[in-house]
Amino acid sequence: MGAPVVRVEGLVKRYGGATALDGVSFEVGKGEVFGLLGPNGAGKTTTVEILEGVRAKTAGVATVLGEDPSDLKRGRSVKRKMGVLPQDFSAFARLTVRENLEFFAGIYDSPVNVPELIGLLKLEEDSQKRFALLSGGSKQRVGVAAALVNDPEIVFLDEPTIGLDPEARRATWKVISDLKDRGKTVVLTTHYMDEAEKLSDRIGILVKGKLAVLGSPAELIGRFGGSKTIVFKNGGDAVFGTLRRFFDGATMEGQDVVLPFENLRDLDVAMGALVGRGLDSDVALRQPTLEEVFLRFAGFRMTESGDAV
Amino acid sequence: MKLVVVFKAVTRNWLRSRSGLFFSFLFPVLLLLLLASVSSTPGVPGPAGLGAGYYVASVTAAFVMTNGVIGLTNVGSELRRNGVLKRLSASPLPKFEWLLGNILSQAVLALILAGVMLALGAVLFRAEYLVNFFSIAILVMGTLLFSGLGMTLAGVIKDPETASGVGNAIAFPMMLLSGTFWPISAMPAYLQSVAAVLPLTFFSEGLRDSLVVANFQIALTDLVVVTAFAVAFLLIGTATTKWSEP
Repeated sequence: MGAPVVRVEGLVKRYGGATALDGVSFEVGKGEVFGLLGPNGAGKTTTVEILEGVRAKTAGVATVLGEDPSDLKRGRSVKRKMGVLPQDFSAFARLTVRENLEFFAGIYDSPVNVPELIGLLKLEEDSQKRFALLSGGSKQRVGVAAALVNDPEIVFLDEPTIGLDPEARRATWKVISDLKDRGKTVVLTTHYMDEAEKLSDRIGILVKGKLAVLGSPAELIGRFGGSKTIVFKNGGDAVFGTLRRFFDGATMEGQDVVLPFENLRDLDVAMGALVGRGLDSDVALRQPTLEEVFLRFAGFRMTESGDAV
Repeated sequence: MKLVVVFKAVTRNWLRSRSGLFFSFLFPVLLLLLLASVSSTPGVPGPAGLGAGYYVASVTAAFVMTNGVIGLTNVGSELRRNGVLKRLSASPLPKFEWLLGNILSQAVLALILAGVMLALGAVLFRAEYLVNFFSIAILVMGTLLFSGLGMTLAGVIKDPETASGVGNAIAFPMMLLSGTFWPISAMPAYLQSVAAVLPLTFFSEGLRDSLVVANFQIALTDLVVVTAFAVAFLLIGTATTKWSEP
């Protein structure tokens, strides 16, 4: 990791008696995409809002580019180099997309070219539409554009793809990848596992205000994701009963039978047992994912909307 | 200058609101036409013998007040609820430039409203005025006063619906009690004592005294009182407009 652009140490945030952040510590290096992953209410937004200088911390250290963003004077110079996409981005309802982006461009000293930005985010068709009349996905893309309007050194993206259709989501991923290619530092919050895994150099999993684990996606999956598994599709009780005689670790997920996979010999044994009993099932190899890592540390899974289940 | 950028954006956003336009311009114009028509009818003496000029000044003052207390309150609390203010606080835009841009926008809208009302009064009702330093100064100070009050309400009340209700609850009684529609002297004594402490009373009276009556001594007193109210509300409004979350 390069020189830290973001430094968070022992960060605490309390709202009355409730603790939202409980001693969170991490650093983000220059040019790194850092993902904060966690369910709703884990403290992701609170963390980035403190780093953006829009929310006060209770205790600890939170610096961006070496400065405390909440500092009245120095914070402003950091904010010039910072791009921000807040959760549920909104803008002037009755201004067009272009007018809104020109407004955001106008409050920075060295903004980028607004028409180019509109092209980058594929907002040409919407550029003359009023913000209030846009779809949720277009509004979110305007938010991403507004976050890039000052050609920032560091970009905070709070749930950047929430509410986007798959195509718009992939387009936003491309923008984030391009930012990385241009050497920008990105702090990203998300509750989408695939997004965090695909985009982030390193991931911090936040659970109930605490940073449960930190590392690159490959590291986390390798260390905590468990073994690969073989899935016998729709195997049902017959396949499960047969495999269970040979493997204690065989489990059922609905009608699928799941078998931890250590080596090829396991596969040979399993297939031999099934053939011997005249059983047949489609077989798939399943790699461990971030979801297993999350489950291990959080103790629960997340829904598409980020709620714990 | 960021101030100009803010001014342009908030003014455009305001002018594109149909309800904003109606209540900022069309409604006061309709009200002026109605009231001035009645007062111009032969045999019906205008309030304080001032005819249509009375209503030009009073209705202008009243709607500068409602634009600040109702309009700015609604816009401010809405921008806070939908997160625009939070987004701006994460930018290098200073709070005072944001507030100043909004106040400047209100001041320009107030001057346009006053211009429209004066023109209508002069053309349709042959009202005569004396546009002078006092009338312009008191119009600007009145705008600052009620912008400050609007900012205060938007800052203190988090929910836009409640803010709108409170804005209306303040604006309409003040409009009725401050001599907009009838002279304060025509009201019972206890209501006159309430009117005597309402900022709109001084604003409205100051505008009438400077613009229509040409009584600059009273206008100066009104200007001082309106300025004092304006400073107080702008300070409170600035303090209550939160640029960061707790």
